[in-house]
Amino acid sequence: MKKSKLETAESLAKGHFRVEPNLKHIHLIEPMDDQDPNDPIRLLEVVEGTLAIGIQPIGFTADPARGIDYPSMIVEISPDEYKSVRNGKVRFADRDWTIGRELLAG
Amino acid sequence: MAATNQQWARGYAHQALSDLRARETLVNARAEKCHRLHFLQMAAEKVCKAHLLAAARGPDSVREIRRSHAYIAGPLPQIARHFYGKLNDNNEISRWEISEIKRLAREIQLLAPACKEGDVREDNSEYPWEGAKGDICIPCEYSFPNLDDGNRAIIRLINLIRAAAATFSQ
Repeated sequence: MKKSKLETAESLAKGHFRVEPNLKHIHLIEPMDDQDPNDPIRLLEVVEGTLAIGIQPIGFTADPARGIDYPSMIVEISPDEYKSVRNGKVRFADRDWTIGRELLAG
Repeated sequence: MAATNQQWARGYAHQALSDLRARETLVNARAEKCHRLHFLQMAAEKVCKAHLLAAARGPDSVREIRRSHAYIAGPLPQIARHFYGKLNDNNEISRWEISEIKRLAREIQLLAPACKEGDVREDNSEYPWEGAKGDICIPCEYSFPNLDDGNRAIIRLINLIRAAAATFSQ
């Protein structure tokens, strides 16, 4: 059965946590449109030691053969950048997004 | 009508695959290491830009991504992590390998002449530079000791770059 977007996001987050030793937090970036399969899952990842270069989303296509039925977008930021966006908003793609629920924390 | 981000991403990914084919030709022809690394740097930069362009919105973002050479060290480890499972029966990349890919990605980014890490790294794969003792260092004579392009980790990374480019290039 096809996973929901939230289930897929949780699965991606778990996989990333298992392999990235410096990953501290993963949040959903919301809103997430469950009705639109082309609207990507957006994850905010806080990684110690990453270059503090601002909000730089990386897009991935869906890969149904691996159980990833939706496109995804990862925004990786440093812990210092994370402190500066703790007001709950992050701006990219010409709009403000809400830092949503925390999926996992290290 | 302006090109879409997906069209830009496809263009960059397609050219990245061509860069990798050119690199293989150079390897088989026993070309100097600087040329092999130059094509690796170009392929890595383009595949990173393809993934950044796919997520970008607005002409300013697209212009900025297309202009800079400093888009390898950050995105490439994330891209490699994503595609590792695709090439390895859904197995996850090891923590050791992701750390090594971060190191390699930084070194590959520094191969571009414009990326000097605050003027402390003049070594690059294209143009001569002045060494610490005032001597002129020439890429085709330089050993690039931080990048062994024949070792297994870098060959695996090249395969990941190819897989990442192929997703946008179809």
